[in-house]
Amino acid sequence: MIFQKVKGIFIDGRKDMCKKNPLTEYLSPKKVYIPLIQRSSILKAEVKVGDYVKLGQLVASIDKPFTIRVHASVSGNVTAIKKVWHGSGKMVDAVEIENDFKNELADTIKEEKNIDKLTREQLIEKMELAGLTGLGGAGFPTHVKYKTKLKIDAVIINAVECEPYLTCDYHFITNYAEKLLKGASYMARAAGATKAYVAYKINYREIRESMEPFLKDYPNVEVFPVKNVYPSGWEKFVVEQVTKKTYKNLPAEAGVIVNNSATAIIYADIVEKNIPQIVRPVVVTGEGVKVPHAFVVPIGTKVSDLIEICGGYIDGLDPLKYNYIAGGPMTGKAILIDDLVVSDTLGSVVIKPIVEGLYPECLGCGKCADVCPAYLTPTEIKKAFERKDLKLLGDLNANKCVECGLCSYICPSHVEITEAVGKGKAYLLKGGK
Amino acid sequence: MARFAAGKAPFLRAAHDKDYGTKVMMKDFLIALLPVILYAWYKNGIRVYMDGNITFLEMLYPLIFIMLGGIISSLMEGIFFFVTDKEHRTLKDISQKLSLSFAAIPGLILALLLPLYTPVWVLIFAAFVATIIGKMIFGGFGHNIFNPALLGYAVVGFTLMGVINNAGGLFNASEVLIDSYAGATPLGALAANKQIDYNILVKPYGDLWTFFIGNYPGALGETGTLAIFFGGLYLVIRKVIKWYTPVIYVGTVFVLSWIIGVISGDGGLWFPAYSVMTGGVMFAAVFMITEPVTTPTNILGKVFFALFLGVLTVLFRFVGSLPEGVGTSLIFMNIFTLPIDKFTGVIRTKRFQKPGGLYFGILSGLVILLALYTLLKAGNMYTAFIPFLGWVI
Repeated sequence: MIFQKVKGIFIDGRKDMCKKNPLTEYLSPKKVYIPLIQRSSILKAEVKVGDYVKLGQLVASIDKPFTIRVHASVSGNVTAIKKVWHGSGKMVDAVEIENDFKNELADTIKEEKNIDKLTREQLIEKMELAGLTGLGGAGFPTHVKYKTKLKIDAVIINAVECEPYLTCDYHFITNYAEKLLKGASYMARAAGATKAYVAYKINYREIRESMEPFLKDYPNVEVFPVKNVYPSGWEKFVVEQVTKKTYKNLPAEAGVIVNNSATAIIYADIVEKNIPQIVRPVVVTGEGVKVPHAFVVPIGTKVSDLIEICGGYIDGLDPLKYNYIAGGPMTGKAILIDDLVVSDTLGSVVIKPIVEGLYPECLGCGKCADVCPAYLTPTEIKKAFERKDLKLLGDLNANKCVECGLCSYICPSHVEITEAVGKGKAYLLKGGK
Repeated sequence: MARFAAGKAPFLRAAHDKDYGTKVMMKDFLIALLPVILYAWYKNGIRVYMDGNITFLEMLYPLIFIMLGGIISSLMEGIFFFVTDKEHRTLKDISQKLSLSFAAIPGLILALLLPLYTPVWVLIFAAFVATIIGKMIFGGFGHNIFNPALLGYAVVGFTLMGVINNAGGLFNASEVLIDSYAGATPLGALAANKQIDYNILVKPYGDLWTFFIGNYPGALGETGTLAIFFGGLYLVIRKVIKWYTPVIYVGTVFVLSWIIGVISGDGGLWFPAYSVMTGGVMFAAVFMITEPVTTPTNILGKVFFALFLGVLTVLFRFVGSLPEGVGTSLIFMNIFTLPIDKFTGVIRTKRFQKPGGLYFGILSGLVILLALYTLLKAGNMYTAFIPFLGWVI
């Protein structure tokens, strides 16, 4: 329709505070806490208190609705199963492993000899066994995407990272550029696709430059710049920019599979060395941290350890005047107690001052509808939800909201419109309960 | 371990910026009113003083009258806050609430809608209707259904027009002396004569240029087309209003008036130009139909709203008994803001799938039917007889 042109808006990234500091590998914390939850599924622990676990050994798993496997990220004794704060804002059970610093490897970890002979099925099976999940924040099990019956033409590696503040993918890619290209080409093979695209934000020239020396070895991988707007990294937006095609529910309908760049880098190790998904990049940044840093850490590391490496909070920080955000500043959750544990869905912690102010009521200017990347009408969804009008919520496609946060961002009256639309979406998805 | 503050995503907000937000938008609105206020002062004060028809103090009166509108409505809201909220009665609390309620704007617009010699007690009564009944009783800023200023003006217009006319009416001290102003306002002349004739409608006041500048009898703010244009331009540049709402509204009035002119036997473009420059069409287009609270929220809604409003303005102007038609049609359309918002919201998301296409068909069908009805009805009035139209009505 003619009035649907706007696609994302430019938001000042404020990424420089973290960009200049190098990636820090912090692979041996004293203790790790492997959360027994993945997305909304509660996992079954495969170890008991007192067991000795090797690095890469299966710790917890579940078969339904999808196979999810979680592995030990250090070697040592299981000392307890206790509650920890998870990035979703809830307290969840976690397996506490005390690191013995011996890094004893599980038997499954060995060099893969005939990488070129691996079939498509074997490559997908590796994803499943390694417990590979989307590291962009949604944590969807990767193997499920690849088991699609639709014809896949290309794999898109999403290295856009459009959220402000975050530099997690930026650091991980510039440090492991070749691994990213390897992972991308393996993923293309696993999907039966002929091509892989690495989509990056056009103003990050460093990402392109870091990959350029290796590009000639991977002729099926292409680097593709996308717009410097938010939410440029939204799956649907990336697919539309790269393929000029769109889809309704799943990218596979447009003949593509989208994966996060960190997932691709981890997948390169999975294919070549059979190391399961036990590490991930995390960035700790924001005005409240002395020296913001990006890290590569074992899953289950306490964020407080990382903040210590960053030099702690800034001097004289009053916690009640700051938000401790799990995730990016646009979509993350405020965590009240700074006792968070790194899980596969947690890519960042931002400590950012709160801004207080008095704002008038919604005046109906319509800016929220103008910026919505899904072309929804947030004000109407809010009204329909307040009236509990299920049919109208359906007519307004409330379920298509991606909760990118742009409507609240642009609102001149500081209305919590994203939250209201999110509630409407949940109400619609639950069928009015 | 420390306890951190709670909050809701997104944690970044454009409204945290001092140069962005509703307060800034409302400030821009005031700035945009400035050329209109200044022109009204020039036309009704300075110019008349230079003609030698009033004293120096009387020269200041138009400006004082307009300011008075803003001050009275602010005071009334202040009193309303004082009376209704027993726990927050300090000056600080009330001034804070007033700053979030933008009380002065309806008052200023109200004063601009009224003729110069409106008695002050009528202004106070109108301001009471505007702010207390039109705005505060609905729940304050953001909750009102009718444009407050317009509601105040409409109530006064229906009940106290005789009082205003007795007190001096639309003419300023200079205009009273001009003999050719037979039918008070230009649109009064149209309503009285029911004839599209350049010599009757435009000649007595000068030419179209006079109308563009705004030097003809009328309410304080409605005449200065040029000043209003500058205000609108500023609002568009500052992204407070969307350019197409006024353009579609004025365009609809222009096109329909032109067709009516053609039907009546005078196809000159002077008539549609005259139509949009009189009766407050321009003032409403820039300052009233773009007022966000009482008009639809989303783009498509704004477009339909402006279309309906344009058609209704012409309908009320040529078919109804009131000469101008702008205020009546706007108050009428204010009622339909909520349903238009709802239907266009569905059209936006569902496009032409069910039920979006159905809603789109209903809305556009209604606009077309109304426009046709207006044309037939108006054409019937102004032409002696058009055979193929005669039997339709």
